[in-house]
Amino acid sequence: MALCACSFPAIVSCCAAASEPQKSTPFASHLLGGSDLGFHPLLKLNQVKKRPCGVYASLSEGAEYYSSRPATPLLDTINYPIHMKNLSVKELKQLADELRSDVIFNVSKTGGHLGSSLGVVELTVALHYVFNAPRDKILWDVGHQSYPHKILTGRRDKMHTMRQTNGLAGFTKRAESEYDCFGTGHSSTTISAGLGMAVGRDLKGERNNVVAVIGDGAMTAGQAYEAMNNAGYLDSDMIVILNDNKQVSLPTANLDGPIPPVGALSSALSRLQSNRPLRELREVAKGVTKQIGGPMHELAAKVDEYARGMISGSGSTLFEELGLYYIGPVDGHNIDDLVSILKEVKTTKTTGPVLIHVVTEKGRGYPYAERADDKYHGVVKFDPATGKQFKGSSVTQSYTTYFAEALIAEAEADKNIVAIHAAMGGGTGLNLFLRRFPQRCFDVGIAEQHAVTFAAGLACEGLKPFCAIYSSFMQRAYDQVVHDVDLQKLPVRFAMDRAGLVGADGPTHCGAFDVTFMACLPNMVVMAPSDEAELFHMVATAAAIDDRPSCFRYPRGNGIGVQLPPGNKGVPLEIGKGRVLIEGERVALLGYGSAVQSCLAAASLLESYGLQLTVADARFCKPLDHSLIRELAKSHEVLITVEEGSIGGFGSHVAQFLALDGLLDGKVKWRPVVLPDRYIDHGSPADQLAEAGLTPSHIAATVFNVLGQKREALGIMSSRN
Amino acid sequence: MMRCGYGLAALPGTDARLFSPEPSFLRLPRTVHPTRIKFGSFKIRAKIGEARKETSFYDMLGISEKGTLPEIKQAYKQLARKYHPDVSPPDRVEEYTERFIRVQEAYETLSDPRRKALYDKDLALGLHLAFSARRRYQFDEELEDQSEWRNRWQTQLSELKRRSMSRDAGGNMSWGARMRRQREEQSKQV
Repeated sequence: MALCACSFPAIVSCCAAASEPQKSTPFASHLLGGSDLGFHPLLKLNQVKKRPCGVYASLSEGAEYYSSRPATPLLDTINYPIHMKNLSVKELKQLADELRSDVIFNVSKTGGHLGSSLGVVELTVALHYVFNAPRDKILWDVGHQSYPHKILTGRRDKMHTMRQTNGLAGFTKRAESEYDCFGTGHSSTTISAGLGMAVGRDLKGERNNVVAVIGDGAMTAGQAYEAMNNAGYLDSDMIVILNDNKQVSLPTANLDGPIPPVGALSSALSRLQSNRPLRELREVAKGVTKQIGGPMHELAAKVDEYARGMISGSGSTLFEELGLYYIGPVDGHNIDDLVSILKEVKTTKTTGPVLIHVVTEKGRGYPYAERADDKYHGVVKFDPATGKQFKGSSVTQSYTTYFAEALIAEAEADKNIVAIHAAMGGGTGLNLFLRRFPQRCFDVGIAEQHAVTFAAGLACEGLKPFCAIYSSFMQRAYDQVVHDVDLQKLPVRFAMDRAGLVGADGPTHCGAFDVTFMACLPNMVVMAPSDEAELFHMVATAAAIDDRPSCFRYPRGNGIGVQLPPGNKGVPLEIGKGRVLIEGERVALLGYGSAVQSCLAAASLLESYGLQLTVADARFCKPLDHSLIRELAKSHEVLITVEEGSIGGFGSHVAQFLALDGLLDGKVKWRPVVLPDRYIDHGSPADQLAEAGLTPSHIAATVFNVLGQKREALGIMSSRN
Repeated sequence: MMRCGYGLAALPGTDARLFSPEPSFLRLPRTVHPTRIKFGSFKIRAKIGEARKETSFYDMLGISEKGTLPEIKQAYKQLARKYHPDVSPPDRVEEYTERFIRVQEAYETLSDPRRKALYDKDLALGLHLAFSARRRYQFDEELEDQSEWRNRWQTQLSELKRRSMSRDAGGNMSWGARMRRQREEQSKQV
C-alpha cells in the first residue's frame, strides 16, 4: 500500500473529531490512494454524513444510487480541457466517475437525454485529455450525447438550464461555445463535416487534429458512406470514432423489449466484436501447434499467424475497402486503452483517415439505465436514487399515440396498409403498430431517403404505405418525395409528426418548412388536423386517397380533449373542404392545423372587446377550399390566415388564390401570421410561441392593428402574462 | 459485448456444463475434466484444496448472502478502517494487511453487480476459489476477450505506424498526400 506517513495524523484526527469536514477529505483520498476503485465518493459519503450541517449524501434504503449529489473534488477543478492535462490515468478514471454522477444529477433535475451521454463518459474524458480542443476539432454526431463534453468545456455551471429557454442547447451548437465545432441533431453528418474541416486545415497548411465521433446507428445512413468514401479517396488525416453500442433505433426498445439492431451492418459490427469463433480457431491452432511440436516451430508460428490474420480480417474489410484504416474493437469504458490508442494515433504522422471502433454500453454506470430496455435514452426529471421518472399525467394522449391508433384501426379494415419509419419506432408511435402488425411495419434504420423510395416501390405494387417521418427529418428525403413519389403520382401517405415548434429540442428538430415544401408539389394533397378527432379523420382520408400522394402534419404535444370517433376509425373527409367553427362578422381568422386552436383562443379574447370573429379551419392547404375563401373574403373586412409554418406555406397559397381570383382588388385586407424569418431557439413551448409571435394574444393584437385600433393592440400585448 | 456472451452463449460440452446451476452434488474434482476447461485448469485443481478452506466473501464481510449494496458498503467501510495497515497494531501488520486486501477484493466483487452475480453462481456450485487463482479462472474468459482485443489493436497500431512511414512516398498521389508534402516543404522553408 502506498501510503505516506503524513496521513496518519489525519486519520487519527478524523476518528477523534468526526465533525471536521476539512480533515475528512484527506483521509478518504489517502486511504484509497493505493487502490484503483472508483468509489472515492462513497467513503466521502460516510464522512459527509458526520457533518453537522450541509449536504447529506446518503444512500437511501433499497436504492442503487446516491440520492443527492456526491462530492466531485476532481471535477470541481476542471473548467476547461486544459485543466485536465496534468492528470494521471488513475485520476482520469476518478474524473470519469465524477463526471458520470454529475451528468446523472443534472439530467435528473432538468430531463433530457441520459443513456447516450453515460455511454461516452470515458470516451469524452480520453478525447479531451489527449487532444487540445478547440484547436483540435472534436465533432459529436449524436448531439445529445455531448452533455459530458459540455461539462468539461466550461458549461458546467449552466447545466441546470439544459434545454430550457435561454439555456444550454440539448445538442452541440456553434453559437454556444467554440468547443462545439459543428451543430448536430440529425445524425450521420460528422464524418462529412470532419472531412471538410480536415481538408480546410490542409489547404491552410495547419496541423491540428480532427476527430469525428459517430454512432453505429448513424452508420445506417447513406451520408456516412458518402463521407467515408470521399475521405478514403482524399486521404486527408482524420480520425473517425465509431461508437458502437448496438443501438440502432430509437427509442432503444419497443413496447416489448430491447430492439435488436436493424440492418446487415450491425451483424457485421458484432462479428468484429465476437471472439468465440476466434478463440475456437486459436485453440485449434494451439492444439495443432502442440502436436506439431518443437522442430516444427516455424510451421506452428505460421498456423498461429494465419489464425490471427483470419481474425483481424473479418468485417473490418468494409472500412478498409472504403479507405479508412481500421483499429479495434476497443473497450470504450477503459480509459487506459482509449488514452493509449488515441495518443498513438495522434503522434503518428500521415495516417490518412483512421477509424477506431469503440464498443460502449448505453446507460453505463447507472444501474437503472443499464437494466432498462430503452437504456433511459430520453427522460423527464427523475429521482436519481430510485430511477423513477416524474412523468406528468394528462387527460389526453399525444398526437403520436392517436396517429398510431388511427393507423391500426385503418389497417384492421384494410390489409394493404403498411407503415414505414426511419429508426423512430417510439417517436412516431409505430411501435404500437408493430406490436399489432409485426409483418407490416418496416424500420429501415436512419435512412429517410430510402424510406420514401421504398414506400414508392410498395405503392407500385398496390400496397398503401404510410411513411411516418418527422417534419424536420422529411427534409432529408425531399428529392425522393419530389422525384420518386410526386412526379410519378404514387399514392404514398406521409404522416409528419413534430410539425411546427417543438420545444426543448430546438431548431434542429423544428418542423417549420413542411407546408412550404409539400404544398408546392403539383400532385400532393396537403392537409392538417386542428385536433385529435380531425387527425383520425385525416388518417382515414389519406388511406382513401389512392391515386396521388398525400400528407398531413400534426404537432408535438397532447390532444385538446375532443371526442374521438368510435372504434378509433375516422371517416374520410371531403377533399378540399374546410369548415367554419364560429360564425362572426368583420374579421375572419382562417387557421391551418393546430393554429386553429390559437385562433379560437384569440376570438374569445376579443369577445370582451365586443368583436365577434369568424373562425374557420381550412383543413386542406392543397387543394384549397376556394368557395370558403371566396365566402370569407367577400363578407369580411379582414382575413387573417394563421399557421405554424414558415413563409411560402398555407398563407402564401391563400394569397395566390385571392390574387388570381381578383379578390384582392376589392375591399378585403389580407394578413398572414406565420413563423418569423429566423430560427426559434429551444425553450418551453409557451416561450417559443411567444418568441415566434403566434400566441392568441399576438393574433388578437394583429386583428386590432389591421382594424386601426393600435391602442387596443398594445393593450392586449401588455396585459398578457 | 462480453457480458452478454458470458455464460449464455457458451458452446455445448464446455463452459455450459460447468456453469449450469446444478447444486449440491457437484464436486469439482470428479466432474470437471481438464480438457473440458479451456484455460487455467491445472491452476484450478491446485487451488481447489485451498478453496474449500476459504471463507466466502460474505463471511469475510460479516454479512448474510442476501446483503444489499448499502450493507455491503457499510461492512466494507468498517472492516477497511479496522484492518488498514496504518491503524493496525504494529506486531500484526502483516496479518491485518492481508485481511485488508481480502476485504478489499470482497468488496470489489460484491459491489459490482455483474461480478457479484458470477460470484454468487460459483458459491452455489460450492466453489469459492482463493484470491488470485479465482480471479484468473473466473475472469479468464473476460480477460481473454480483453487481451484478445488488446492484442488485436496493438497489432493494428504498430501496422499503422509502419504504414505511415512509407505512406507519402513518391508514388502516392492522393490529394491528402500531396497536401502533406506541400506542408512539409513549406515548414522546411520557414
